[in-house]
Amino acid sequence: MASANKTINTDVPAKDIFALHFLQSLSNLRIQNPLNSPEETTDRVKKIKMAAYISMARAAGGTNRLWSRALLRRASKENNKINRFSRRKRKVTWQISSERRGRRSSNRRAPVVEEVAERLRNFVPGGGGMETSKLMEETAHYIKCLSMQVKVMQCLVDGLSPK
Amino acid sequence: MNSSSLLTPSSSSSPHLQSPATFDHDDFLHHIFSSTPWPSVLDDAPPPTSDIAGFHHHDADSRNQITMMPLPSHHHPNDSLFNGLSAGSLPFHLPQGSGGGQSQSQSQATASTTTGGTTVQPQTKPKVRARRGQATDPHSIAERLRRERIAERMKSLQELVPNGNKTDKASMLDEIIDYVKFLQLQVKVLSMSRLGGAASVSSQISEDAGGSHENTSSSGENQTAAKMTEHQVAKLMEEDMGSAMQYLQGKGLCLMPISLASTISSATCPPRNPFVGDAAVPLSPNLSTTTIANGNASSLVTVKDAPSVSKP
Repeated sequence: MASANKTINTDVPAKDIFALHFLQSLSNLRIQNPLNSPEETTDRVKKIKMAAYISMARAAGGTNRLWSRALLRRASKENNKINRFSRRKRKVTWQISSERRGRRSSNRRAPVVEEVAERLRNFVPGGGGMETSKLMEETAHYIKCLSMQVKVMQCLVDGLSPK
Repeated sequence: MNSSSLLTPSSSSSPHLQSPATFDHDDFLHHIFSSTPWPSVLDDAPPPTSDIAGFHHHDADSRNQITMMPLPSHHHPNDSLFNGLSAGSLPFHLPQGSGGGQSQSQSQATASTTTGGTTVQPQTKPKVRARRGQATDPHSIAERLRRERIAERMKSLQELVPNGNKTDKASMLDEIIDYVKFLQLQVKVLSMSRLGGAASVSSQISEDAGGSHENTSSSGENQTAAKMTEHQVAKLMEEDMGSAMQYLQGKGLCLMPISLASTISSATCPPRNPFVGDAAVPLSPNLSTTTIANGNASSLVTVKDAPSVSKP
């Protein structure tokens, strides 16, 4: 049974796709906001960071992954789109199931792993509604995508910074 | 006499065994081992002791090959005979022997050795008996499965994260968390330096530090501002690398090794200050270097390289 799960699919698309999405989002940003004055730098920085995350989420497989879904949902919430119900529902079901499990088998979960998994959930987007094994899978994919995005951004910085 | 513990039926004794209850060795063995747990079968009443005398010698031979478990008494042929017969008699009610009570106690002894010796049992045991030390409870099976899955995924995560050579699960998970934090920080830092943020960043530096870090000629000014930053960063680095990085990036600076800093600064502008320890370099392309002396020369974070963080 363990051998059947051996090939967990955590492939990420190539760097080009990430670069494409990121550049698209950047150009969109530029169209929306022409060059700002220095006082609004932090705002602009936040926008760029958000654009980076969103483009990463889109590039990494859209809604196939839990964390990308959560990221996109969070972004759309900030843009005044109301889509909260599904998230709340998921949180509730997770709590219920953990209660049920807790009644049946109180000491079965390894407490050390669970405690660290809690902390991990705070960092990985969408981690609140996942069980530990699913969480780890998502984390692996998320780490791969993050490192890919960082590489893309670094290449951009290196390429575009004047000598 | 009782040496072999293997299933080696001997053809010589089979005709003898055929007389009491027409079966042959393989059949007999098959029946023994297909019957469900031994203890229940051993509870059968001892069969009538009719013609035990005729069987003694033959059965002793045959029984030697049949016996599977270590018998409590090997020296006494009668006892061993009874044991073997009790083992063999279960489905077939072979004549037990004259000592009914003795055979009972010995059958109980055999039963106890049967249940106790899990290592001696053959592979064709019924599936009810689980692995040693583990229950067949569905909850614990599910739990075990779940643990295996988690361990498997942790292994794959271990390969992704640098410094993944920790064997302890907890420390490995801590590494993973720190790595995720670090990557997110990198994204933040990189997004700061992007897209013409350079000009704004440098102006920010000039505002914050109270003396422009760019194009400064007086080393005195530079050093006081630098010293403030240096102390702050050194203090932060002691507690948490991430917060130190964030502080630096708030000022538009980053840490890099001396060699790299000297290369960069010599490429752009002549170095102004002697390099002691690490150098903090602003992210803007207008490079002017400020030195931060700290004893922690081994900790480096560079934005330009691939993520290579070595924690102090």
